[in-house]
Formats: sequence, structure tokens, C-alpha cells
Amino acid sequence: MSLRKKSGRFAAGVALAGAIALTATACAGSGGPAEVTSSGLGDIPKDTSGTVRILMENVPDTDIVKDLVSEFNTVYPDITVDIESLTFDQMRDKLVSSFQSPDPAYDLIVADNPWMVDFAQAGFLEPLDERIDSTTDYDADDFFTPLTDITTVDDVRYGVPFYNYALGYLYNTADYEAAGLQVPTTLDELVSDVTTLKTADRAGIAMQPQRGYKIFEEWANWLFAAGGSIYDDEGNITLDTPEAKAALEAYIDAYQNAAPANSLNWAFDEAFRSVSSGEAASMISYNWNLPALNDPAGASGDLAGQFKLAPMPGGKQVLGAWSWAIPSNSGAPDAAWAFASWITSKAVDVERVSAGGAAIRESTLEDPAVLDDGFGADYYEAVKQILSDAAPLSQGAGGEEMIQAVGTELNEAVAGTKSVDDALRDAQSAAEKTQG
Amino acid sequence: MRFKYGMLAPLVAVFIAVVGFPLLYALYLSFTDYKLTDRGAPDLVGFENYLSTFTNPAFWEAFGVTAVYVVVAVGLELVIGLAVALSLQKQKWARDVTRSMLLAPMFITPIAVGLTFRFLLNDQIGAIPELLRGIGINYDFFGPGRALFTLAFIDVWQWTPFMVLLLLAGLESIPKQPLEAARVDGGSPWYIFRRIVLPLLAPVLVVAILLRALDALKVFEYVYATTRGGPGTETQTIQYFTYQTGIQFFRLGEASSMAFVVLAVVLTVIVIAFRRLERNKSA
Repeated sequence: MSLRKKSGRFAAGVALAGAIALTATACAGSGGPAEVTSSGLGDIPKDTSGTVRILMENVPDTDIVKDLVSEFNTVYPDITVDIESLTFDQMRDKLVSSFQSPDPAYDLIVADNPWMVDFAQAGFLEPLDERIDSTTDYDADDFFTPLTDITTVDDVRYGVPFYNYALGYLYNTADYEAAGLQVPTTLDELVSDVTTLKTADRAGIAMQPQRGYKIFEEWANWLFAAGGSIYDDEGNITLDTPEAKAALEAYIDAYQNAAPANSLNWAFDEAFRSVSSGEAASMISYNWNLPALNDPAGASGDLAGQFKLAPMPGGKQVLGAWSWAIPSNSGAPDAAWAFASWITSKAVDVERVSAGGAAIRESTLEDPAVLDDGFGADYYEAVKQILSDAAPLSQGAGGEEMIQAVGTELNEAVAGTKSVDDALRDAQSAAEKTQG
Repeated sequence: MRFKYGMLAPLVAVFIAVVGFPLLYALYLSFTDYKLTDRGAPDLVGFENYLSTFTNPAFWEAFGVTAVYVVVAVGLELVIGLAVALSLQKQKWARDVTRSMLLAPMFITPIAVGLTFRFLLNDQIGAIPELLRGIGINYDFFGPGRALFTLAFIDVWQWTPFMVLLLLAGLESIPKQPLEAARVDGGSPWYIFRRIVLPLLAPVLVVAILLRALDALKVFEYVYATTRGGPGTETQTIQYFTYQTGIQFFRLGEASSMAFVVLAVVLTVIVIAFRRLERNKSA
């Protein structure tokens, strides 16, 4: 082979590698919004046309929204609402891909609490202040404040609440009455109650100590009940405190003495099955599980109607929320806002909550149409109390990583592979690292 | 010569597009600070990600977890697979039925297998703990010190048939003459197996172990469906750890460097294994 041929091939190779490298450089982060055609206005004309593609989680609230679409089309006949629902685990990856694409897959999204800051700071979401303020009779102040706090990043609102998943104490009233117990109001009472409620064929409480999100979400309620917090007023992590230690020790005590055997890896599915089948007397879970537990056609069978919801002992609980948000590369931002503002408007919210949707507006929980429905006024009263004093799991960027890191340490402590002190020290350190 | 290269061109083109580009792109990302939430082109950071990967104890812990998983799972699959293959080789009737039934687990998607076992092994509603309790055994399948072995057991359930398939093909390709000669000379079954069958089967064994080990190294679905890496970090495999870093925590540049470190280790193992195989062949 001649030297010229060799050098020619070498040059061709270099050129190919260069071309690939340049293409690669162009690929990374090359996405971003296409030209935004958003009017930025709140009141969207009724003759607006377009297709709003929405990605939602596969949960009961999504089914309720789907049922309301036809009613929306009586107001906006030329807007097509196309809802795709996926399980939680599949959602975020698809959303991020859509955000990065010049040709997005979604025009309106629902964003989970820990994603909000990351998405907003990345520029993925359209600021909604002007839209919210210029929408007639929208009354954004009526949303529960802890919910709107989640949608506000650096003093800008990037979303409006879709539904809450604040946690509360769900318990079987028959089991409580048979044991002669009252609903617990302190952490000590909670541990004592669930231990007393445990029998040979029934656990006192079905817990969710699975590593990561589940244990952190559940345990944080115990932390609040012990008087602790995840963040201080300046936003610093406060997980290595005497209150956190008391909460973790109480949690481990309850797991060892009142939870179902060998449930170290349990998440929501297992805990719900356990309570609905009568194999556990209580659980700490999302407030909107009460209608599901009391549904005669649901998993509880003959036990339906026996369950009640109460705020956590101490009165403060963990808050999660999904929020409607418009991607900054949305192909139909005005039509998207038309739908988001319509579905969260006062009148429609009453319909949504009456159908079993989770509350977002204070006025909805005082509306007679809601209070008189089958889920019970005392249920809505408990929800109101819960939403009035709740705090989110994460506040800043990297929320998902912080939750996973802390949840891993907590799980180690419950598994007994780490001491409580070591787990909390490492949780504090890991969470601080995610804050940068 | 030209025609030969021309014939290769479509394959080379497909290879570059399907394998080469993603690989080079990932390599490029591994030298950047790219996050999934970034807009615009990322900055080059040199070997920073590699340095961070090499000095990250969690990464090496995950590597260790994966290594234990692979050794346990593939080891058991080899022993059980060989035993089953030897039995099937001697089977006289209904061979097609048993073989097709045996292969069934391979055709189920791993995530479905993981989810199925998550509930089958659940202490409260699972059939297996219930059966075990019936004979007085209380065993927490996902408890500390056990969860990793449970995942390896799931792998064994699903992929032993693959091992059987390969080993059975290997056994049936062994020439009959040396076996018959050994029998005529009065060799015991164990002697024949150890001194004739195993050496003749060695190339197939190496390939089977290598294929299964490479596949087991990718374990993700079982972890995702059952333990999410817990208890603590006991089942946090390298793939799950990389997924968390790159997808859950958005740090794609760092995750790419982890993937390349794994690739380098795996390639080294493959090259060593094949060189030994070649050396044994020529000897």
C-alpha cells in the first residue's frame, strides 16, 4: 500500500471522526424551544383552535380529567385535547426528551413536586404569572398556599396545581374501636397504638420502608411529628438532629413491632393491599386513598366504609403536588392554557373533586356540592387540615437525588445495617452534597 | 479486492450508524459536563468525569455487587444447566415438548419476570413464602444479606434454559467415538464425564459462560422491579447506579464515563477469555 493511499485513508478517518464529533457536539443540548407563539395572555378566545397533547400519570385523577374533556369542548369546540397516560416511572424521561426537542411531543404537562425546580431552572417551562393574573375570575389565591409554593421558583409561578398528594393517617375505625383506642395525636401515641393493634393475624400498621422515595416520603411525616424538619428557614438541610433521631427510632420501633413481617421492601402497592384486605389496621398514605379504601366496589370488599383519614400526629405532614405547566417549546401554549385554566377553575374544580379528585382549592372544600357527596364532610375537613399545614419533601434543585440519597440511608437504618446516628449523619451529608 | 470491500460497505455503514455513532457520542459526552437539563452545547471537562468515577466508592461498591451477582447467577446456571442438558441428552421420548417447555422463561420480558417475583416472594401475599411457612421456614427474600441472592435466583430461573440450550447443542456435537472407546475400556460415567466430555465441551462452556456473564452484567430490570437497589445499597448494581446518575439525577456526562469504565473492564475480560481459549486450542 502506497504512503499516499495510507495518508489518504488516515485523512478520511480523521474527517469521519471529526464529522461525528461535530455532529455529537451539535446533538448535546441542541434542543430547546422552537419559536414560541404564546400570547402570554390569560383569557383565551373561545374560537381558539389547536391540539393540546398532554402527558399525565396513570392515576384516578387523570381518569377524572379525561372524563371532563367533553365538557371542555362545549366551551372550546376547536381545541382537541389528546391525553397520554403513563406510569410514574416512565414519565420524566419522556418529558425531558420532549423539552429538549425542537419538535416537542407535549404541549401541556403535569409536573411532580421534586421536578419543578429543575424543570423551571432549566428553562423548560413557560412562566405563568401574566397568564394567571390576566385570567378573569381565576382567583389563584384560593389554591392552598403550600401547593402554590411548590409551583413558584425564584418568585415566578411556573404552574398551577393539578392535585395534591399530601399524606395522612388512614386507619380502620373498627380495629381502633375494638382496641378501645383513640386516633393518635403524638408520635408516642402513634407507636403505642400501632403496637397495640398488632395481633397474630393483623399488623398494626403497613409501612413502606423501600429504599429511596418511599421511605423518605413516609418517614418525613414521623420527622414532622417529632417536631423536626427537612429544611430550616434558610433552606439548609436539618436531618441530623435530636428530633430526626427520635423520629427514626420511633419508625424502627414501629417497623419491628407493628408492621407486617418481612416488609422491608414494601412500597405503596403492598401497603395498600395489606390495609384494604384487613391484614393491617392502618397506614400513612395519600389522603385520596380514603375514597379508594371505602369504595364498596374496590379492593376493601366488606371492609369498605370502615376507614377514616386523620392528619398526622402533631398536625404537620408531607406534601406532594402535581402541577399543570406549559413547556416553553409547546406547540399550542394558548390552547394549553385554555385547558389548564379551565380544569382548575373554581366551578370545574368542584366537579373534579366531587368525582373523587384530590383537592387544590380551599373554596372547593367548602362547597355544599362537595361536602354533601359520598366521600363525607369529615373526610374533606381532614383534607383541609392536612393541606393547611404541610411541607414538601424537597425545595431546591436536585430534589430527586436528595430524596434518593436520604431514602437510602434511612432504609439502611431500618434494615439494621447502619446505626441510627450513622444513617442520619450520612443522610445529612448526602443531602448537603446534592445542594452543591 | 475492491468487490470484497464493496460487499462489506453496507455492513460497515450500518455498523457505523447503529453502533459507532452512539458509542462515539457517548464517549464525547463522557468528556463533558452535560446534564439532561442543560440547554446549548456542554463544556468539555477533560478526564474530570473519569476521575470522579474512579474515585467514587459508590461506583466500585456497585461494581462489586454486580460481580457477586454475576458469579452467583452464572455459576448456578452453569451447574444446573449442565445437569439438565446431560439429562435431556439421554431423553428418549417427547424431547420437543420438554425442550420447548423448558425454554419458556426466556421468552418473558425481564421486567415482567421481576414484577412477578416481587409479588410471588412477598411475605404477605406471595405463594412461595406461604409454601415455605407450611414446612416451618420463615425466610425474608428481600431482607438484608439475602436480597442479592434472591435477584440471582430470579436470573437463574429465567436464564438457565439458555445455558441448557447452548450446552445441549455442545453435548450433541461431541464425537461419539472417544466416548465409546472409553466405555469399552471400562471408564466409569464420572471418569468419562470429567476426562472426555468436559474437555471436549470446554469451548462451548467458555462461550456459554461469557454470553451469560455479559448478559447478567446488564442486570437492571429485576432490581428496578423489586428492590430499587435496597436494602441500603445491597442490590445497587452498576447498571442501576448508572441509570440513577444519568437519567434520574440528569448527570449524563458522568454516567457516560461510568459506562465506558464498565465497557473497558468487560472488553478486557472478553479479550483475556478468548486469548486463553485460542491458546488452549493451539496447545
